[in-house]
Amino acid sequence: MNELHPNALCFGDEFPASGAPCLVHVEGQGMTITFLSDHEGGESRSEFVEFSQLNISAGGLDHNQLVAAWVGPAGQRMLYLKSPELIRAFRHTAPSQLSQPLEQAAEQVRQVRHRHRMVWGLVSGTVLAMVLGLWFGSDLLVELAVDRIPVEWEQKLGESTYREFLAGQSVTKDGPAVSAVTEMTQRLASQVPNNPYRFEVTVVKSDVVNAFALPGGYIVVFTGLMKKADSPDEVAGVLAHELNHVLQRHGLERIIKQLGFVAVVSIALGNPPGLGGIMKQLGIELMTLKFGRAQETEADMTGLQLLYRAKINPDGMITFFQRLAEKDEGRVEWFSTHPMSSARADRLKAQLAEMPKQNIEPFSFEWSKVQGALGSSLGSAP
Amino acid sequence: MKSEILYPGAFPMARVELGSGEQIKAESGAMVACSPTIDIESKMEGGFLGALSRKFLTGEKFFFQTLKATRGAGEVLLAPTVPGEIVVLELDGVNEYMVQKDGFLAGADGITIDSQMQSMSRGLLGGEGFFILKMSGKGMLLLNSFGAVHKIELKPGQEYIVDNSHLVAWSTTTSYNIEKATSGWVASFTSGEGFVCRFRGPGLVYIQSRNPGGFGAWVRQFIPVTE
Repeated sequence: MNELHPNALCFGDEFPASGAPCLVHVEGQGMTITFLSDHEGGESRSEFVEFSQLNISAGGLDHNQLVAAWVGPAGQRMLYLKSPELIRAFRHTAPSQLSQPLEQAAEQVRQVRHRHRMVWGLVSGTVLAMVLGLWFGSDLLVELAVDRIPVEWEQKLGESTYREFLAGQSVTKDGPAVSAVTEMTQRLASQVPNNPYRFEVTVVKSDVVNAFALPGGYIVVFTGLMKKADSPDEVAGVLAHELNHVLQRHGLERIIKQLGFVAVVSIALGNPPGLGGIMKQLGIELMTLKFGRAQETEADMTGLQLLYRAKINPDGMITFFQRLAEKDEGRVEWFSTHPMSSARADRLKAQLAEMPKQNIEPFSFEWSKVQGALGSSLGSAP
Repeated sequence: MKSEILYPGAFPMARVELGSGEQIKAESGAMVACSPTIDIESKMEGGFLGALSRKFLTGEKFFFQTLKATRGAGEVLLAPTVPGEIVVLELDGVNEYMVQKDGFLAGADGITIDSQMQSMSRGLLGGEGFFILKMSGKGMLLLNSFGAVHKIELKPGQEYIVDNSHLVAWSTTTSYNIEKATSGWVASFTSGEGFVCRFRGPGLVYIQSRNPGGFGAWVRQFIPVTE
């Protein structure tokens, strides 16, 4: 009888508060409880409790333990059974008068588990619904918010950023490049109905092949873009795209979306450590990127229509993206602010095919002279 | 395996004697010094997924270190990161304890460590997060606290109320409910207690005499803001 492995804890007045480990054995009429001696070689002592003396309930931290209470010669006793085999043996052997309390205890355990599952399910469902709602429904809310912001505010916001940016750049004030860009912008802007913006375009000396628009109608074109463009139509295509970022108020939408999304996520999740924090950051990033792509596609489509109305050859926009596409290899659209250039070119082509033919009016300047004035060396291919 | 607490008080250290071939697992970084017969390995308790879930869910360290007396008997000195007492518990195979996530210092090889999910209300309001550590099995268990450790012994049905941020460990025969500290919501927070746990015996509850979160907030006001 030396190798006794306790399988239950007994509580009572003479035992320590942590309970006395004991070995419980279920028999025909009741249970034998064997208490192990504290020191090696000591006598272990046993006592027998009849089923009829017992009071049964569920207990413990998760209500997953079977608690048998009785009043013995030594006073109030409580036995906590946890081992599943022991509980099974107990339920199997216990007489019929105990089956009702046993069933009640089992029901209590089932209810606790059911409640936990329900609450977790409800919370996960709510979180999922919030995520889906944010992903799909936020555009509408952002539009509502943007509509309430007057154009003057937007212009002030854009202008300060614009002046700050230009202060550190070498600006081309006049010359063929400036007049060419001005002519393009004017032709495009004249086709915008009820235009609240006064577009201001600046040519900046830089090898960056890009152009950007700030809220309020402030547009910057880098000379790098003009040098690399094969035709004025390509530059006009980029300008039409940037103009539409302004007209659709994309900058404002972006600010509001970012602010709102971060606020909502922070309220919902707080600042969780570990995995939660990573998930939060990832969610915000993906959301921002998705939003960026949607804006770019919108600016592409409305830009194409603007080119069409201004009677500028829309093929320029498409060829520009096709050339960009050659640099795109290995990029994954999902992880980019901009859609894939090849996909953009394809979408534009499909859109263009649906529009009726339009007569194209050429620009008043000669593109080779504009590029010549920029000091473009055609020999230095990319 | 024998253990002894050196320098009891705020800055204690545990000395564990290992017989030849015996091993102990400890929180990563807990080893201060050891005999040359001891080998230190890092081990992912519960396998990779177990370790991963413990790391992300409880914020406990990904690896535990295993200190094994491979080349003969020796001793190991262990200490926690925070100032506070070390308490030694002896698990006998039926006793089980829930331990808040920073409370584990070291355990004999026979101790099993699981991360366990709590119910929604306990997770949200209990202050220990949704996942806590469950210690079961057989052998010696060393826990550490922030400040001094106080043991509360609960008789069957006896109740005791503990501020949730002072909890260290509690036996699984107890049960508890989360409650507001006072009857009104506003008073609950203005009293500085927020939520409390109403424990119900039988079993043991170990609490720490200092609140790590409260201490953090107190220290923060002295840290100069640089940006």
